[in-house]
Amino acid sequence: MDKNEPLYLERFSVFQRMTHLLVIVSFLTLAITGMALKFAMEDWAQWIAYFFGGFTVLGALHRFFAIVTFFYFFLTMIMLYTKWQESKKTLFGFIFDPEGLVPNLNDLNEFIATIKWFFGGPRPYYGHWTYWEKFDFMAVFWGIAVIGSSGLALWFPVGFSNLFPGYWLNIATIIHSDEALLAAGFIFTIHFYNTHLRPDKFPLDPVIFVGSITVDELKHERPREYDQLVASGELEKLVQRQAPAPWLKRMSLMFGLFVVSTGSILIVSIIVSMFSYIGKH
Amino acid sequence: MTRIGGFLTRVACCFILILVVFFGGGGDVFALTDEECLDCHGDKDFITEKDGETISLFIDMAMFGKTVHAENGCTSCHADAADGVDEHPVPLASVNCADCHDRVGEVYQNSDHGKAALDRDDELAPTCKDCHTKHNILPPTDKESSTYPLNIPFTCGRCHREGTEMTKTHDLNQHNVMKNYSMSIHGKGLFVDGLIVTAVCSTCHTAHNVLKASNPESSVNRNNIIETCNQCHVGIVDMFKNSVHSETVTRTGKRLPVCHDCHTSHTIADVKKKDFRLIIAEQCNNCHAHESETYLETYHGRASMLWGGEKTAKCSDCHGSHNIQPEEHQASMINDANIVETCSQCHAAANQSFTTYLPHATHSKKDKDRYPYLYYTFWAMTGLLVGTFAFFGLHTILWIPRGLIEKFKGSTGNKTE
Repeated sequence: MDKNEPLYLERFSVFQRMTHLLVIVSFLTLAITGMALKFAMEDWAQWIAYFFGGFTVLGALHRFFAIVTFFYFFLTMIMLYTKWQESKKTLFGFIFDPEGLVPNLNDLNEFIATIKWFFGGPRPYYGHWTYWEKFDFMAVFWGIAVIGSSGLALWFPVGFSNLFPGYWLNIATIIHSDEALLAAGFIFTIHFYNTHLRPDKFPLDPVIFVGSITVDELKHERPREYDQLVASGELEKLVQRQAPAPWLKRMSLMFGLFVVSTGSILIVSIIVSMFSYIGKH
Repeated sequence: MTRIGGFLTRVACCFILILVVFFGGGGDVFALTDEECLDCHGDKDFITEKDGETISLFIDMAMFGKTVHAENGCTSCHADAADGVDEHPVPLASVNCADCHDRVGEVYQNSDHGKAALDRDDELAPTCKDCHTKHNILPPTDKESSTYPLNIPFTCGRCHREGTEMTKTHDLNQHNVMKNYSMSIHGKGLFVDGLIVTAVCSTCHTAHNVLKASNPESSVNRNNIIETCNQCHVGIVDMFKNSVHSETVTRTGKRLPVCHDCHTSHTIADVKKKDFRLIIAEQCNNCHAHESETYLETYHGRASMLWGGEKTAKCSDCHGSHNIQPEEHQASMINDANIVETCSQCHAAANQSFTTYLPHATHSKKDKDRYPYLYYTFWAMTGLLVGTFAFFGLHTILWIPRGLIEKFKGSTGNKTE
């Protein structure tokens, strides 16, 4: 083997990458079409309406990608079920796996270690998932539950009012709209920064598109995972010399930058509109 | 003797009277005849120069024969030409139409056009001939007439079209009236559908009694506009007069809306088309600010602001328009007895529970007591939002300098460190 060629390790499977692609496309469209309605009095919202061909189109796209969202939620459940079956653990054991996606006590320690690191302490001993990555994953779960259920109520208001009082639709509107603002705001600022815009990744970490990272990166960023893989002897089996295809890297960069810029423009527009609103009232 | 003398006196009087009528009062018989006038004015090449301009003095008798004045001779109007034998004095005095048309003359005299022309000597103010022409005055039922409905906008437009000498020199409240009118439902009725029963300028402004809308006597003043529209929209006005907006129903010192407050004047649009539907909330906002504002906070209102959002419910879809009544009125569209049906216009199978939806929802502090659940939901959500961003915002802000330091070290030092 050529010693100069870096060693690669798969971080995201094709299935996971495709699911995330669905998440990106649907979330971005939902955010754009929904925020145009929430901020309908702003010029930029009107431009969105013009661009897509009017309010009716915005509504149709929003509902279509709502279905896509429920679909990837379902895909994720299947993936988790498969992983659970493969892990040969009990359900409890799988969910609360120390290296799984559910936050645990170690994440609190890592969070404290991270704050120390910000102030000059050593880089924390991160594993496969950091606490902010776990938060991202759990937030999508929580978000889909809250935004999805309130969204369904607003999609089928008459049906909803057969089960609940009609004025709950007003409550659902506030919840749907503000939770969406939280989600869009979070993804387009915090997630973008934590994942792509932070200095060591700027302007984009393409791993979610290309799937693999180098062993050097793993060792630096997720030392606990590296040590675990070395200790179990699995690293030898998982690494490969195959770098991601150049076309895939280029596509990833173009697509990723497009999405990050679009989301950033949207969130800047929202922030400007909100501050001008607060200034006026 | 007295009897015979009396008879003779009477005969003499009659004779003198006949003489007077023949030679005195009926003096025309010796004056210019139409044929004599046409000796000159029948010539197509008969021209004169005035202020350097060539003016044709030709009178087309074939045309004149079709006009409302066909029965009149030249000197009926040009009385001062009557004294001439071969030629008449030049120039002739202006024709005074009011000599015959005295009632119209009086109305015109008191109109803004009349006052401008007669009292202020405004050269641009129209007199009879400017709208009716001089020798080609056809009945208004004749398609060729300048006062035929299809031609009226062009007749008025000669002066009122934006950019003319008149619009440039006069202080007018309304602008682009011709363009706006032709885009309005009345204008489209005329120009697109070819309807002569559609409203043209004179239908609303009258023909001879044109007054500024600010004048209480004006047909388009808010005191009179309902009756003006009532000329055509009888059924609507009947309905309106029973509605809460009518002064016959609501006794209030506040200004009640009249037709043009909602429908505008020259830009009046088809109420089913988006041009109108998209401005309904704005129109109602002029008086019902809080209702309009809280409506705009809901889905219906937000969608209304976006391009293509004309289909979502507007004020009038739920409250009605000319038949509008307060909620407690039995006939009100939002009365408990009718509201399910009102919502059902869009939401098929709407039920009583559905109608408890608040179409004027607000989570503002002002409405905290009315809608506490909206107020607290909003602030709980806002708290969650602010909390999350405060936490992760701080996290990110602290990360930035550390990230930059690491990157700087990483680019100079050992990468695998």
